[in-house]
Amino acid sequence: MAKTNAIEVKNLVKTYGNVYALKNVDLNIADGEYFVLLGPSGGGKTTLLRSIGGFIRPDSGSVNIKGQNVDDLPPDRRPTSMVFQGFALFPHMNVSQNIGYGLKLKSIDKNIIENKVNKMTDLVGLKGLSNRMPHELSGGQQQRVQLARALILENDVLLLDEPLSALDAQLRKDMCIELKRLQKTVGISFVHVTHNQEEAMSVADRIAIIADGEMVEQGTPKEIYSNPKNKFTAEFIGEKNIFEGKIKDFNKTKVVVDIDNDNIEFANNNYKVKKNQKVSLSIKSESIQIKKISKTNSKILNNQIVGKISEITFLGQFVRYLVVLNNKQEIQVRSYEEIVNLKVHDTVSLSWKLEDFLLHQN
Amino acid sequence: MLLRDDFQPRWKLALKWGWLSFAVFILMAPVFYTMYISFNELGFGAKYYIFTFQWYESVFSDKQLIGSLGWTMLLAIITLPIVIPFGLLSAKLYKQSQHKVGIVFVLLSPLFVPADILGSALLVFFKNLNKFFTLISEYTGIYVLESWFDLGIMTAVIGLIVYTLPYVFVVIMITMARYKVEQTEAARDLGASAWRAFWEIEFPQIRAGVFSACAFVVILTFNEYTRTSLLKGGFDTFTSVLISQMLNTGMSEESYAMASIVSLVAIIIVSIILIVTAIKTEELEKITRVVKEPNK
Repeated sequence: MAKTNAIEVKNLVKTYGNVYALKNVDLNIADGEYFVLLGPSGGGKTTLLRSIGGFIRPDSGSVNIKGQNVDDLPPDRRPTSMVFQGFALFPHMNVSQNIGYGLKLKSIDKNIIENKVNKMTDLVGLKGLSNRMPHELSGGQQQRVQLARALILENDVLLLDEPLSALDAQLRKDMCIELKRLQKTVGISFVHVTHNQEEAMSVADRIAIIADGEMVEQGTPKEIYSNPKNKFTAEFIGEKNIFEGKIKDFNKTKVVVDIDNDNIEFANNNYKVKKNQKVSLSIKSESIQIKKISKTNSKILNNQIVGKISEITFLGQFVRYLVVLNNKQEIQVRSYEEIVNLKVHDTVSLSWKLEDFLLHQN
Repeated sequence: MLLRDDFQPRWKLALKWGWLSFAVFILMAPVFYTMYISFNELGFGAKYYIFTFQWYESVFSDKQLIGSLGWTMLLAIITLPIVIPFGLLSAKLYKQSQHKVGIVFVLLSPLFVPADILGSALLVFFKNLNKFFTLISEYTGIYVLESWFDLGIMTAVIGLIVYTLPYVFVVIMITMARYKVEQTEAARDLGASAWRAFWEIEFPQIRAGVFSACAFVVILTFNEYTRTSLLKGGFDTFTSVLISQMLNTGMSEESYAMASIVSLVAIIIVSIILIVTAIKTEELEKITRVVKEPNK
């Protein structure tokens, strides 16, 4: 059975003077879905989230939550809760008071509030910290208080505005696992804004890429990462190498693109192209194989190009090689093992599987 | 921190603190001298010093001085509930607005007009307003507004509001600058109305500033002479009695005692404000440090 929509956004427009923060944005988020709005800073993702939460009134368009139009409702009357970027805990209240504040506003019995607060502090891993003041907590603990404070109201949707941006890398990874676990436990829709693609990939059921106020692309993390339809998505997600060129030749199975002094051959994935058409190509840095050219293996195949190593960097889990092609373009290659005989200034051949290159029409 | 440098010699630091203490002493010396005289049975300029409390005792039996003190307190009490919300709203407007320079200019402009000119301008304005309402009363036969702007408490209070609002605005604005608007948004998101978000979340955090502003209004009301003298009508304020005594007969010993009481109360109030603000600032800095360096 198809899932119902928790959020429906239609034709949302928001301008600040002459600048469009949102341009006719459409979005559907299913019930119980972990949805991530991903994009560069200033792209409009927080504006979209705040429009859903009722903190911004859009110029036009509509927002429906659980089938109810909420365009004219202020934040306190929308079935949403928000987790803010800068924690936004109330510094004059302790952990329990912060978490229970929303219930207190509903004039719920004190004993019931206490019960629910205790359950919630256990759920988010804050047991024993109920009487601490916010400034006595670490960043991760403060973020857990925010989560508990938002979740205790049992609203239909939880909005998270860059919730992990103030945390260090390791804590961010831990919190991603925690967020995903929480979302599965409570079963409501989470809408999470971030500019960090690793964070997005690790929590999302679906991701929407937003840039310049426009919805660029939507899909599952795998679709977005492995098969981005848009050049911007390809550039934004992961370490992608983008090539600009013209179609030189094509048939049902293969396409050849001329990128200045080199030809790139790759699989034709039903692309609708014509000769001399300008196109962009992308390939993930880990999909390129790098090999030193020696006198014995100097033959260059169709799906190979030649370049010179300009930099080798050890990055923990992998080694990154920067290779300069004949046309001076720099290519990144990731290898999970250091290739012993490769040095800076070595001439190398770069090869790929035909299906690893993706074509984006300009 | 202003006076601290880990690498400077200790004597330099001591010299800086010594200089600062000397400057404060020079500034406060006249007040301390007034207090000193107020305990001398022989009064100002006497060759000998005999310690006494008698001038303090007679202050409380001087009906004119006590009466003027009462009027001054009344003016402060009436001014407070009007000027504080006004200053609070102005500071909130300042925080939300994109035209901050314009707001500061408008609100601080009364400080740049000399007191006697502003007082005279208000006096002329109220006189003309009275004439206007008298005219309206004659034409309409409705006499409710006729004497609203006769010189008295109302005009003196308006003068005090004009005078104290810039101070109230600045004091509250400084405290409010540290408040994070996201907290109001969080409260609204949790279901608080705009008023409850203000009262339960924002106000407790700017309370020190609001109370400081209240203290400033009371002190400024005692301090104010020119505008209040022009606008007060028939009653006497503490400052007007003090100055008229000085102009007519020179300051009496009771006046020294009264001035000492007022100065002492003002110093205590300001000291409390400074201590509370310092404690609050330290607390806020702790919180800010945790937010900025969340994993420590």
